[in-house]
Amino acid sequence: MTVEDEIEIMGQRLNDKIRKIYGRSLHIREVDAGSCNACEVEVNSLSNPIYDIERFGLHIVASPRHADMLLVTGPVTRNMELALLKTYNATPAPKLVAAMGSCACNGGIFGDTYASMGGVDKIIPVDVYIPGCPPRPQAVIFGLMVAIGKLEQKISKTEVKS
Amino acid sequence: MLDILKKTLKTGCQTTKYPDVPDVAPEGFRGMPQLLSDKCTFCGECVKVCPPGVITIAEKSHEKTLALSYCGCIFCGRCEEVCQSDAVKLTQEYELASLAKEDLITIIRRKL
Ligand code: SF4
Ligand code: SF4
Ligand code: SF4
Repeated sequence: MTVEDEIEIMGQRLNDKIRKIYGRSLHIREVDAGSCNACEVEVNSLSNPIYDIERFGLHIVASPRHADMLLVTGPVTRNMELALLKTYNATPAPKLVAAMGSCACNGGIFGDTYASMGGVDKIIPVDVYIPGCPPRPQAVIFGLMVAIGKLEQKISKTEVKS
Repeated sequence: MLDILKKTLKTGCQTTKYPDVPDVAPEGFRGMPQLLSDKCTFCGECVKVCPPGVITIAEKSHEKTLALSYCGCIFCGRCEEVCQSDAVKLTQEYELASLAKEDLITIIRRKL
């Protein structure tokens, strides 16, 4: 067994532990890293009476110091780069990061330009990607459930030959 | 007070049952684009129009590949619009969250 394998196994165990810890309740800090605000509107609607994520024990909190998870939207503009890094460092470990929206996943419509980084994973490690522009509130709920291991991921890499 | 109570009882519970009950996206919702390998002619039109450039086409000596990554796709439907052979269709599927970026890639290959 190589060192890499061992590290991988340890990482897997840590992941399982994290899932167990987060199994009951999760506090989320929303970080707008330069999004067009459509994603924020969807995050707002998550806590309205229709979607009501508090029924799963998911709470949106006002400070990264209170949070277990960062829900990052936007392609990470240069001005938000340092702020995002500081927010990440201020979040107590173990922490999860969810990239919400196509911008946060891969730059989306803004891409990788002089003014934006083109994706959250260029700066901080991302645990779950939630594509959509913006994702439906249901898609965000699904993504959060996948992140804490309550639901199974539905999509996998496909290759078709013809 | 009684009026409010009456209204509340009339309205009932509005909270969605999702994810216990599957929620089907409304008609016209633009979700996951699907590539149909038997119809695609590898013309490259969708590659040209895709605004974030998540569709890529590659040609090696003996095969052509078309790859689409949902990671970065803005679900605009341009690819469906320009495709002459109806080889790309937007579906109602929106549960795309994944733990790895690689899972969001779909590839079609054809031997020349
Ligand atoms: S993913 Fe789409 S909706 Fe969300 S911030 Fe980016 S451009 Fe706006
Ligand atoms: S999906 Fe349609 S537009 Fe894209 S390469 Fe195939 S045939 Fe051309
Ligand atoms: S829906 Fe739009 S962004 Fe997505 S692959 Fe098609 S053209 Fe590209």
